[in-house]
Amino acid sequence: MKHIQTLETRDLCESAKNGGCGECQTSCQSACKTSCGIANQQCENKKEEE
Amino acid sequence: MIHRFEMDGRYIVLDVCSGSVHVVDETAYRMIGMYPEMGREELIAQALTWSGPEDEAELNEIYDEITALKDAGKLFAPDTFAPMAKELKRRTAGVVKALCLHVAHTCNLNCAYCFASQGKYHGERAVMPFEVGKQALDFLVANSGSRKNLEVDFFGGEPLMNWDVVKRLVEYARGIEKESGKHFRFTLTTNGMLIDDDVIDFANREMSNVVLSLDGRKEIHDRCRVDYAGNGSWEKIVPKFQKLVAARGGKNYYMRGTFTHANPDFLNDIRVMLDLGFNELSMEPVVCAAGDPAALTEEDLPIVLKQYEDLARLMLRRSREGKPFTFYHYMLDLTGGPCIYKRISGCGSGTEYMAVTPWGDLYPCHQFVGEEKFKLGDIWRGVENTETQAEFADCNVYAREECKDCWARLYCSGGCAANAYHATGSVRGVYKYGCELFRKRMECAIWLQCALMEKE
Repeated sequence: MKHIQTLETRDLCESAKNGGCGECQTSCQSACKTSCGIANQQCENKKEEE
Repeated sequence: MIHRFEMDGRYIVLDVCSGSVHVVDETAYRMIGMYPEMGREELIAQALTWSGPEDEAELNEIYDEITALKDAGKLFAPDTFAPMAKELKRRTAGVVKALCLHVAHTCNLNCAYCFASQGKYHGERAVMPFEVGKQALDFLVANSGSRKNLEVDFFGGEPLMNWDVVKRLVEYARGIEKESGKHFRFTLTTNGMLIDDDVIDFANREMSNVVLSLDGRKEIHDRCRVDYAGNGSWEKIVPKFQKLVAARGGKNYYMRGTFTHANPDFLNDIRVMLDLGFNELSMEPVVCAAGDPAALTEEDLPIVLKQYEDLARLMLRRSREGKPFTFYHYMLDLTGGPCIYKRISGCGSGTEYMAVTPWGDLYPCHQFVGEEKFKLGDIWRGVENTETQAEFADCNVYAREECKDCWARLYCSGGCAANAYHATGSVRGVYKYGCELFRKRMECAIWLQCALMEKE
């Protein structure tokens, strides 16, 4: 496309099909301990696929 | 739902529900904003009145591009996730996979802003006996269901004040990994005062992550992070942190600072961390009661928001100069990030994640320790306060009215229950100041991803 450049992202709707294994890191169990953010968590399923 | 923002001439459109990120030109940016309310002819007639360079044919082209993305589910995707909100927690009910072990409710520093009241959590000073820690690990394994990866954070107070127990617990856990089919990931959070060669060797071997508390500039750090005689700790800890990080061999760590009303211009502290040779950084707003002298004020807010923008610019510049560094909240992995279940399920406090006191009591998370009514049970009998646990199990992004119209809801998953409780008196509340900061951080993180992908 000429006017819109779309970045490659994980399709969230698609992720509903195989997601929800619960193996990924608990969000607060890392650096912050004082806020909630899940966007920077890695998907463990994807890691294993690789 | 979409969210549009512009920074330094980059026009970015986020499609909230599909997770798509689009970098667009200015005319497309404006047209996307009006697209839901107007048909083709009306929108193009409108766009022709703007001072953009596009002629009618090009505006039609933009309209077609927008429509194609909408048809592909990458723009204006509907929110169909609400029915899934409780699904992950239902699937994982009764499963515990992460514990925050409060191995020492005592501290060798007397930090003015400590949310844990100098490590005591409003109670008595105590250290966790080995037997309590061992039972906590057994409790975790026994309640972890089919989860393979278990997380244990050694926390305090100051965990190095009970270092021998930490080491014995790690050894015990490693010893039961094979028979239980589990893998432990350990984290150590420390103020650094007691770091020595033994700590460095052991932590760098066994801890998948270490969180090192440093607030940045010496005068900022020493303003709050003092010993009981009132002496600053910066001079003592910085060389120890440098030695530990140098020996870490690339394993994860975070240099974690806290910023307060005294330093809303925290980018200056991040620069000091960089100058000291640290490049995996985290800087968090202070958690304290409103009215506390350290608390961030409304006047601080624009300063803080600007720091986040300037931080993203600094990261871009440094990356292009071949001197990249990471900032915890900007580590967005757009292709390998969490699935939708994780994004709507909340942080897991009180369900898959709990804190354990030195005497074995269970709390929903480290920030609720000492709040007696939130005590869930203990590591021998398990969770008995099922009413409180149910309250946490129901915490998700759709449980909060305020989150329904927020574009960032799938990045924060409803926010921190402790922050919400302290701000509103309810774990289902919303800490609005924190939301402002969070949204700005996400804009900056997405902006940075977009900028890094551009060719110079």
